[in-house]
Amino acid sequence: MKTKQAKEILLLYRGPIDDGDPQFGEALEYARGDPELKRWLRDQTSCYDAIRSKLRGIEPPRDLAQKIIRHRPIPLNPERNRILQLAAAIVVSAGITAASLSIWQREKHFIAQGQEITVKGEVLDMTCYIAYNMSGPENAADARECIRKGLPVGIKDENGKVYLLTGEPGHSINAELADYAAQIVTVRGKESVRDGFAQLQVEEIKKF
Amino acid sequence: MAADLEFENLVNLYYRDLYRFGFSLTGSEMDAADLTQETFYIWANKGHQLKNPGNVKAWLFTTLHREFLKICRRQKRLADEPIEESAASLPDPPADCANRIDSQTLLHFLGEIDENFRVPLVLYYIEDMSYKEIAEVLMIPLGTVQSRIARAKIQLLRCLTETDPVQTRRK
Repeated sequence: MKTKQAKEILLLYRGPIDDGDPQFGEALEYARGDPELKRWLRDQTSCYDAIRSKLRGIEPPRDLAQKIIRHRPIPLNPERNRILQLAAAIVVSAGITAASLSIWQREKHFIAQGQEITVKGEVLDMTCYIAYNMSGPENAADARECIRKGLPVGIKDENGKVYLLTGEPGHSINAELADYAAQIVTVRGKESVRDGFAQLQVEEIKKF
Repeated sequence: MAADLEFENLVNLYYRDLYRFGFSLTGSEMDAADLTQETFYIWANKGHQLKNPGNVKAWLFTTLHREFLKICRRQKRLADEPIEESAASLPDPPADCANRIDSQTLLHFLGEIDENFRVPLVLYYIEDMSYKEIAEVLMIPLGTVQSRIARAKIQLLRCLTETDPVQTRRK
C-alpha cells in the first residue's frame, strides 16, 4: 500500500465510529508507520470533528416538538382507515348529490327555499364523528386540523340531531369553522333536508 | 392514550436529529421545521406499515429525504451534474479547520454541493450511521454512497482550504 492509496481510503475515516469497519483496517495500520500520513489523518479527523460539531450544534425552534405533537393526525390502523375512507366517501357523495340537486333545481326554477333556523350545538369533524363517534374537547385539535384541511364539517344539536354545515354554493366555510371545532356554537342558516340527510347553509356563527 | 404517548416519545427522540438533517440540506429554518413536521405527519399516517420497529430511525430519515427531494423537484433545483472532484485531487484538510468555519459559512458551502452528493455527506457528518445504514436510508448502493461522500467531502474541504479563517475575516 502507498501513502496516496491509504489517503484515498482514509478520506472517509471518521474516528472511533469507523474503527470496526474492515475497509479501514489496513490503511490505519499503514498510517501508524508513516509520520506524514499520521499527521494528515489527525488533521482529517479533527476537521471531521469540527464540521460535525458545527452541524450538531444546530438547534430546532423551542416549540417545534409541541407543534408536531399538537398537529398529529389521528393514528389509524388499516382497518379503521378503510372505514374512514368509506365514511368520507359517503359524506362527500351525499354532499355532491345535494349540491347537484340544488343546482338542478335552481336551473329548473324550482328552488326549494330552506327554512331559516338556529341550531345550538357542538361543531364536528363529520368524518371522524361518523367513523369513530369522535367528538368533544379531547378531540378538538384533531377535529380542527381535519376541518382546516377541508373534510366535511357538521353540528350536533342538544337533541342529538346532526347537520352538515355548508357555505353558499361553491364557497367553503371550513376556514371559519375550524377554530370552533369541538366548541359549542350557535349557527343560523337555511335548513335543507333530503333523503333524511340534514344540511344547514350557514349565514351566521356565534360562539356560545 | 398509549398511541399518543408513543408518538410523543418518538417526536422527542428524533425531532432534533431530523431538524438538523433538514436544516443542513436546505439551509432554511422554516424548510427544516416543515420537513420535520411533515415527516412525523407521514409517520402518524403510515408508520404502522413499518414491519421492523428497529428501523424507525432509518424510516424517518428516508421519509425526510424523500420530502426534501420533492421540494427540490418543485423548485427544479435538482442538478444532474456530478461533482468533478476525484480522489486524485485530494486536498489536505486544513489543520485549523475549526477556526475556518462558522455554521453559516458551512451551510453556505454545503448548499453549493449538488443534492445527490450533499445528502449522504450530511448524514456522514451529523449521524453516527454506518455507510451501510446511510445506503439503506437513501436506498442507493453502498459503493455509490461512499463515492458520493468522498467526492462531496473533497469539494467541501477545498472550499474550507480556500476560505480565510473566521478570526481573520472578523478583523
